[in-house]
Amino acid sequence: MNGAVPTTIIVAGLVLAGYALLMTALNRRMSVILLAALGVLEILLLVEVGLIVAKLAGGERPAGLATLIGYLIAMPLVPVAAAFWGLMERSRWGPAVIAVAGLVAAVLMVRLHQIWPVIHV
Amino acid sequence: MSEPVASPEPTASHPDSTRTGPGRVLIAIYALFALSASARAGVQIVTKFSHAPVAYLLSAFAAVVYVIATVTFAVGSPTARRIALLSCSIELAGVLAVGTWSLADPATFPDATVWSGYGSGYGYVPLVLPVFGLLWLRRWNRRARTRRTIITSAGDAGEAADGSVDHRHQETSWRRSG
Repeated sequence: MNGAVPTTIIVAGLVLAGYALLMTALNRRMSVILLAALGVLEILLLVEVGLIVAKLAGGERPAGLATLIGYLIAMPLVPVAAAFWGLMERSRWGPAVIAVAGLVAAVLMVRLHQIWPVIHV
Repeated sequence: MSEPVASPEPTASHPDSTRTGPGRVLIAIYALFALSASARAGVQIVTKFSHAPVAYLLSAFAAVVYVIATVTFAVGSPTARRIALLSCSIELAGVLAVGTWSLADPATFPDATVWSGYGSGYGYVPLVLPVFGLLWLRRWNRRARTRRTIITSAGDAGEAADGSVDHRHQETSWRRSG
């Protein structure tokens, strides 16, 4: 499987986390830029879910199918949950929540590769 | 005489609960671990329990601890804070005990738990998380005690003056850093 999408997600997640932590350090609140970046991350994650589902539909199976399905459900929820939880916070700690989501997205890609090595990073 | 310091001031920039401010980040990470540890332990216990029973039961125990921490930090009442203090302490003791155990006796852990190797499989976040949890709780308990002291001393200004001035300084510095 082409590793371009997971690699893009890792880079995007880390860049988002870095930017969000900078906003926390500068004592800024949640911004439209952070929400838009979360939206981009969400789209990328949905594309990745689509690619994996297509592969499953093609008849291929990983060893830990249950775990993989858990990841497919949880992955797209990360940016959504972070957006809600971060927007509720009207201080510098809102962006910090977004930073966590960016890091989690990156880590999830590495874990996906470990669960099913055909998903290249 | 007016005592302006004792007002709770639940404004946006000053956290008014363990749920807000840095607590927001703490809860996000605890929720993540609660979810992933529960799901992982559930899958392991259902599909291959006999492979590593000790490891899987410890994972399940860790999952319960994370769920309790998530809920109690989110609720934030004095009772919830007391439960959170207990669960964070158990969590820290658990990471240290299981971490040491997994290094001393690897045969018992053919498969990793969340707390194996002091949480090395999870970037040592499981080791750091309870420390931050306990620090966050200490900040809150100190604040609650301060407020009680000020309220008491407000009605009894003559005797408790020294103590209340000192505590008031503590709370001000707390606010500035928050």
